[in-house]
Amino acid sequence: MTLKTLLTATAVSALLAGAAQADVKFGALYPFSGGLALLGEESFRGVELAVEEINAAGGIQGEQIELVRGDAVDNNQAIGEARRLISREGVKAILGTYSSSRSIAASQVAELSGIPYFELGAVADEVTGRNLQYLFRTNPTAETMGIMSIDMILDEIAPGLGVEASDLVIGVIHEDSAYGTSVAGHQEEYGAEKGLNIVTVQGYPSSTVDMSSLVLDLKDRGVNIVLQTSYQNDSVLFLNQSAEAGFEPDAIIGGGGGYSLTATEEAVGELMEGVLDVDFTQYAVNTEFTPGLEAFLAAYQDKYGEDPRSGHSLNNYVGAMAVLEGIDAGEGFEPDQIVAAVKAIDIPSGETAAGYGVHFGEQNQNDRAMMMGMQWQGGKLVTVYPRDAAVAEFQIGD
Amino acid sequence: MDTFLQIVANGLMLGGLFAIVAVGLTLIFGIVKVINFAHGEFLMVGMYLTFLLSTGLDVHPYLTAAAVAPALFVLGALTQRLLIQPLMSARDEHVQIFATVGLSTALMNLALLVFGADIANTPAHGVRSQVMLGEVRILTGQLWVFGAAILLVIALQLFMKKTRTGRAIRATAQNRAAARLMGINDKFIYVLTFGLGAACVGLGSSLIAPLYPTSPTIGTYFVLIAFVCVVLGGLGSIPGAFFGALVIGLVDALSGFYIGSDLREAVVFTIFLLILILKPSGLFGTRMTQSHVSP
Repeated sequence: MTLKTLLTATAVSALLAGAAQADVKFGALYPFSGGLALLGEESFRGVELAVEEINAAGGIQGEQIELVRGDAVDNNQAIGEARRLISREGVKAILGTYSSSRSIAASQVAELSGIPYFELGAVADEVTGRNLQYLFRTNPTAETMGIMSIDMILDEIAPGLGVEASDLVIGVIHEDSAYGTSVAGHQEEYGAEKGLNIVTVQGYPSSTVDMSSLVLDLKDRGVNIVLQTSYQNDSVLFLNQSAEAGFEPDAIIGGGGGYSLTATEEAVGELMEGVLDVDFTQYAVNTEFTPGLEAFLAAYQDKYGEDPRSGHSLNNYVGAMAVLEGIDAGEGFEPDQIVAAVKAIDIPSGETAAGYGVHFGEQNQNDRAMMMGMQWQGGKLVTVYPRDAAVAEFQIGD
Repeated sequence: MDTFLQIVANGLMLGGLFAIVAVGLTLIFGIVKVINFAHGEFLMVGMYLTFLLSTGLDVHPYLTAAAVAPALFVLGALTQRLLIQPLMSARDEHVQIFATVGLSTALMNLALLVFGADIANTPAHGVRSQVMLGEVRILTGQLWVFGAAILLVIALQLFMKKTRTGRAIRATAQNRAAARLMGINDKFIYVLTFGLGAACVGLGSSLIAPLYPTSPTIGTYFVLIAFVCVVLGGLGSIPGAFFGALVIGLVDALSGFYIGSDLREAVVFTIFLLILILKPSGLFGTRMTQSHVSP
């Protein structure tokens, strides 16, 4: 305990010492308290590691970076903290935000002040959908998730089952908040574009205690591929009640949330075997496709004394590294100079620790951002899609 | 036809689940005349206790009811004594409702703090295994819940009708002032009843825990539905809550299949509104005083 305290104290004083010589300030706006604090903090750690790495290598444009934290505990405070960071602290840009609603609120403030805002983790379409001039997003989105799950059906599942993709009977179910609804909307739209036979799209409240009717409905329609975008409770409920109703689709593709968590796997046991999942890059991935992942993990363990609690830190780290290195290659810290610098970023796929490349396209969204397709195999969540990133075979059919 | 029978069976089992939660709620409402919005959180607390006891001692979750139900009795009794009773003389009775809403939020956030947002899984110990009734599949755990709900309703009815304490409870509910004149300690009756109502949901939580993953927010959905069941059956009526729960379970399951899972809540709550408009006393409700303030 005393050793830990001592180490923390050293780390803090090192940080303060670093801050004393800091030349250029960037804001880090995340929910550090309240209900989203755990993953907000986890996201921030990625940015913190990126900044330390860059400072250790000489900073950007020869200047050390100082990160100023802002606590976006709710939408109102996100706005207040964005104002404080911009006008009182004089930050050159803001990085954030994990939560889509906080991001949408705070980036509005930054846009009006003409301060660049880099979103590294929020997935809602509206974040970039508003055509803001100073907002850039590095991470994959709800649309990426929807498209990826359909691509998995086209590229792996249909060939694996030895049938035409259009012969598969697909059911889309989703929890009915903005998250599930938007992912399901993209699945429906993109699936139809690819000629898939999506027979039903159904929402339900994620707090539901019974999904047996929904399961019977899917069974009755002869659905053999289920796409579910869900949280934890409803993932468990669906898998359990499917098994109880004797409903055995050829493939279940979960979207993020509940399907990536070990607690879900523990809850349903062997029912999880073979279940697919689309989510942010996790850690069981082919490191040849994600150069720098091992170094990131080592730096993380070194600094925080534990393994990352989720993939959020990795994705925020990758986004922050890309943006900061982009600014480093540019000239000056004026808003338009930063915008020009990041617009020139051109990192191909397979060259960052999360696997995806970085290039800002339409609406300043990173058009190379992608998620990974994973599968539960032997109680572990392993990356199976795309093949470049896979660490295990895609298992489908008998 | 098989599908239809399966849906009906699912609906009845779901109704049994709602019933075991609703019985305690209606008991507290009928006697203490307080709508306990923290009832769902009582369920959540009971489920966490079941989880902790059954994993910690490695016993069947049903056995933990012997400890969980008394623990919930104490929680309920304390709620009445420390939170509701001081507010009973408040000029506006609605203050107590806000107090239970506050308690609900506090308990939920306390659970978030202690257990985190992750789900807790109570080991099933075989209650997730299926029995086939013809072509219909039912979980043994669901049958236990259903049976327990029926027994609970009968036991409570007998207690209220046949025992001295039960008669004292009903007397207090009918007319608090008159009951006091007859030498009944009304404050004690209220504490006892609130405890009993909470103990009912405590019993339910030990039966429900192995069937559903436990999370800090599990109670919110249950309490809303249980409230609809109670209103449908007639506020304060114990058999009413049971049959109300069966109806709501059936409606929920049938509308989920034939209308769509996104609309089933809309159907349930439309029924709720219709009852309030057309027959506010509910299916089994009789005209009764709905206030603890004596006429």
